Amino acid sequence: MTCERVRAQLTGYLDGELDGDAGTVVRGHLRTCEACRATASDEAVLRDGLRSLPPVAPPNSLWAGVQARLAAEEVAESKRPAWRRALARWQRFVPAPRVAITGALVAAAAVAVVYWETRPVEEVAREQIAWYRQVVVPPQQFAPEAPLLKNQPAPSSCATVADASIDVSEALALDGQRAEAAYDCAIQDLLTEAANVRGDWSATQRSAFDDKVKAMREVIAKADGKPKQRATRAMVTYLQGAVTRDQVLLAGVP
Amino acid sequence: MKKALVLLLLLPLPVVVGPAAADTLANVVGRARLDVQPVGGRPFKTITIENALGDIVVEGYDGTAIIIETKKTAPDDEALDRLRISLVPNGDGTVKLTTTADHNKESKRLRRGAVRIDLKVRAPRDARIEATAGSGTLTLSNMDAGGDLDTASGPIKVHNVSGELSTHSVSGATSLATVFGSIDSQTLQSDLDLDSISGEKLVAAANHGRIAGRRVRSREITLTTTDGKITLEAEATLRGRVIVSSIKGDLDVRLRRRGTVGVTVRARGSKVDFGVPAPAPVAGWTETHLGNTQASGAAFVEMRSRYGNVQFMIVD
Repeated sequence: MTCERVRAQLTGYLDGELDGDAGTVVRGHLRTCEACRATASDEAVLRDGLRSLPPVAPPNSLWAGVQARLAAEEVAESKRPAWRRALARWQRFVPAPRVAITGALVAAAAVAVVYWETRPVEEVAREQIAWYRQVVVPPQQFAPEAPLLKNQPAPSSCATVADASIDVSEALALDGQRAEAAYDCAIQDLLTEAANVRGDWSATQRSAFDDKVKAMREVIAKADGKPKQRATRAMVTYLQGAVTRDQVLLAGVP
Repeated sequence: MKKALVLLLLLPLPVVVGPAAADTLANVVGRARLDVQPVGGRPFKTITIENALGDIVVEGYDGTAIIIETKKTAPDDEALDRLRISLVPNGDGTVKLTTTADHNKESKRLRRGAVRIDLKVRAPRDARIEATAGSGTLTLSNMDAGGDLDTASGPIKVHNVSGELSTHSVSGATSLATVFGSIDSQTLQSDLDLDSISGEKLVAAANHGRIAGRRVRSREITLTTTDGKITLEAEATLRGRVIVSSIKGDLDVRLRRRGTVGVTVRARGSKVDFGVPAPAPVAGWTETHLGNTQASGAAFVEMRSRYGNVQFMIVD
C-alpha cells in the first residue's frame, strides 16, 4: 500500500472504523513508514486535544449555513444522471470541486468550533472587565481638559448588582456601595452633558467649572459615610445647575 | 457625647401564623413594643432611624416618649433570631434606632427578600427625624421639626410636616404633601410629587424623573430635571422667584396671581408658548411683563429647557 492511500485512510483508522484486514494493512504500513507514523501521530494528538476541550454549542447560524450547503449538495446529487453518480462513486479518492467546497465548509466549521472552545479564559475575562469598567463602574477621574464632544450621547443608566444569591447580611453591606455607584453614574451622565454644553460657556466659566469639579471630587474622595453622601449630592446639584442653567459660578457649593 | 445606655435588643415574641400572613414567603412573625422615656427628663431632639430591611413609619404626636412598634417577619425561628433591632438613647437628647441581620458561620443562607423588619415610631412632634431606609417605604407625618430622609429604592412619603426638610432617594418615588418650611428634595431615577407646599424655599431636583407640583406657594422655587417633564401650578408671591429648568424635559408652569403682584417671565426652549402674544425672542430669551413689574415686590419666573418645550400660563 502506498503512503498516499494509507494517509487517506488514517482518519478512519484512528476512529477504529476500518475493518479487520484494512486496519491490519494500515497498521503494518505505519510500523515500517516513519513519515506516515509521524502524520498519524500528529493527527492523533490533534484529535485527542479536541476531545479534551469542554463541549460548547456552536452558534446556530454556523451550523445552519453548513446544513444548507449540504442539503443543496444532496438535492443537486439527486438530480444528477445515474451514470454521473456511478462515476462519482469511483472518484471517491479524487476530490471533486463540490466535495472539496463542502469539505472546506465543514473544516471551517470545525476550526470555528475549535476557536470557540479554545478561546482563552483571560480574553473573555478582559472583555467582561472592560465592559464592566465602561458601563457599570465609571472612571473615577474626570479630566477637565477632555475634548469637547458635541451631542455626545449620555451613558446609559448604571447596572445594578443583584443580590438574590447572597446572604441578607452581605446584601445589606453592599447597599452603600450601590447607592454610591448610582450617584457616580449620575455624575458621569451630567459631566457628559456638561461636555456637550460647555462650548456655550466663556473661558472663565469653563475654567471655574473645571476647578469646581476638581475640588468637589477631592472633597468626595476624602470624605466617608454621611459627609461623603452629602458631598456627592451637592455635586449632582451643582452639575444640574451648570448644565441646565449655566450656573457655573454658583457660590456656596462646597 | 458618649452613649449613655445601650438599652435593648428588642426581644421578639415569635408567633406562628398561618398562610394568611402578609408575607406569603414567611410564616413566623415577631412583634414587640417599647416606650422610651426621655433620658434625665431632657426632651428628645433628634431621632435617628436606620432600617434597610423594611418600612419605616414615623408619626408625630403630642407626647414626650417615643413609642416603637416593631414587626419582624422571617421564614422560621432561626431566621427570626438573626434579625436585630438596637436602640441607643443618649443624654444629649438624641436616639438612634438601627436594624441588622446577624450572620455567623452556622447560619444558613438567607435571601434578603425572605426577611423584613417594619418599624412604626410615634415620636414627639418637635423632634427632628433622620431616617434611612433601603427598599422599604419611608413615611413621615405630623412632625414640626422637619427631617432628613433617605432611601435607596423605597418610596418617601411626607405629609403634614413643617420645618427644614431634606429628602433624597436613588430610585424611590417621593411624595411631599402639606409641607411648610424650607425643602430640599432630590431623586436620581424617580418622580417627585409636590402638593400644598409653602414656606421660604423649595428646591427639588430629579435626574431621570419628572417633577409635578400643585398648590405651591414657596417664595423661592427651584425645580430642575435632566430629562423629566416639570409641571408646576404655583402662586406668585411678593418678591417670589420661580426657576424651572431642564435639559431635555418639557416645562409647564401655571402661575396663580393674587392681587396686583407684577410678574416678569422669561423663557427659552425648543418652543416657547406663553398663551398670549409675546415679543420676539432676544438672544434666545422670550420675556414678558405682566402687571406692574416696576413696583417693588414683583415676582420673577425663569424657565429654560435646552431641548424641551416651554409653556407658561397665568391663572387669575
